[in-house]
Amino acid sequence: MNLAFTLNGQPCATEAPDHWTVLDLLRDGLGLMGTKYGCGEGVCGTCTVLADGRPIRACLVLAAHARGRTLVTVEGLERDGRLDPIQTAFAERGAAQCGYCTPGIMLAAKALLLENPAPTEHEVREALSGNLCRCTGYTKIVEAVLAVAGTR
Amino acid sequence: MRLHPFRLVEPESLPEAIEALGRLDGEARLVAGGTALVAMIRLGLVKPDRLVSLHRVPALTQIRVENGSLELGAMATHADIEHSRVVRDGWPLLADAVRRVATPAIRTSGTIGGNLAYAEAASDPAPALLCLEAEVRVAGPRGSRTVPIGQFFRGFYDAALEPGEIVTAIRIPPPPARARGGYIKFTSRSAEDKPLVGVAALVALDASGRCVETRIGLGGAAPTPIRAERAERTLRGETLTDAAARAAAEAAAQEADPLTDLMGSADYRREMIRVWVRRLLVALGDGTEASGAR
Repeated sequence: MNLAFTLNGQPCATEAPDHWTVLDLLRDGLGLMGTKYGCGEGVCGTCTVLADGRPIRACLVLAAHARGRTLVTVEGLERDGRLDPIQTAFAERGAAQCGYCTPGIMLAAKALLLENPAPTEHEVREALSGNLCRCTGYTKIVEAVLAVAGTR
Repeated sequence: MRLHPFRLVEPESLPEAIEALGRLDGEARLVAGGTALVAMIRLGLVKPDRLVSLHRVPALTQIRVENGSLELGAMATHADIEHSRVVRDGWPLLADAVRRVATPAIRTSGTIGGNLAYAEAASDPAPALLCLEAEVRVAGPRGSRTVPIGQFFRGFYDAALEPGEIVTAIRIPPPPARARGGYIKFTSRSAEDKPLVGVAALVALDASGRCVETRIGLGGAAPTPIRAERAERTLRGETLTDAAARAAAEAAAQEADPLTDLMGSADYRREMIRVWVRRLLVALGDGTEASGAR
């Protein structure tokens, strides 16, 4: 099937088999390896990307359902060679250990900050509740998101 | 890991969708947000040859008020409902329940029609919709019909849908005058899990503080979402004291028919129904917000 959508600020027209998910499309169709495959059931959150500014699980959403939407992956957070403030905060605070959950967590945080630029710690934890870090490094992650909110 | 291959059909009208679903070549499944079905395909629990997607059928995502009742298109997502001013203002119990579904990313995709058609016993919205006495609109090869939500859940993961039928909308009448409501979700593992027990309640009090109308909906308390009718009857004409709340919670625990699964045993569920029904009713009696169940 043919698909057209906006990906990281650029129009994208491509083809994909009917049974592909958005995650298959990003990684295998378009070669964007930043979005990770974790559980495949929507539970772990590492495949989180933005669709029209809201977080989705790329492993559960059919590629066909991306048609006409605006997707942002971790590759699209950086603009003109400058890191997104979320990326800077994660780097400065050491909010990544093995890094596998990091793309999904940064995009879940991005979605939160788009909707609520000054969240409380509770709101940050709630927004990230579906993103598992099996290094269990949540403290630095929450601090990093709060730091971004504080600088706005 | 790829999904087992299927052909995707994307009808652009409801009649086309019904026709596509009814075609007799292999197994067809309806897909809305995909949050349940895609995971089931991934796990190998179902292997449909054909998915019929409702994404291109117009009007199914509408949220509007008609003659005082809320009309939710079946494809309205949990996020759409949670963010709707109309829902928050007029049907706050529904907004409370919907914003407790899973995680933000699941709420972006998961739809209210899909949630009900899946007939999950531990659905978050279902107990609230039972309290609000919603009606489910269904369309199929033999026309359209309306099913009161109290008759919509037939059994364990079994909704009252005939082959080829599609949930098209949910109609929700206005809550009773001066009703206060709340939804409490108790999870035994982590906050984004489905509820071990979910309790929704709507209580309308007269000027002297007596219950003139009480509705209690339970998730995770039986093979389907249920109304706790015996508990409701114990409160008729009563003031919402701690003792009255305790008696109602005891009745709810007795009439529940909970299952044992990995989240908890039937006995534990029954005990948690006793605890959380009481806490929610006490909070509604005090006019405070029930909290603590995350």
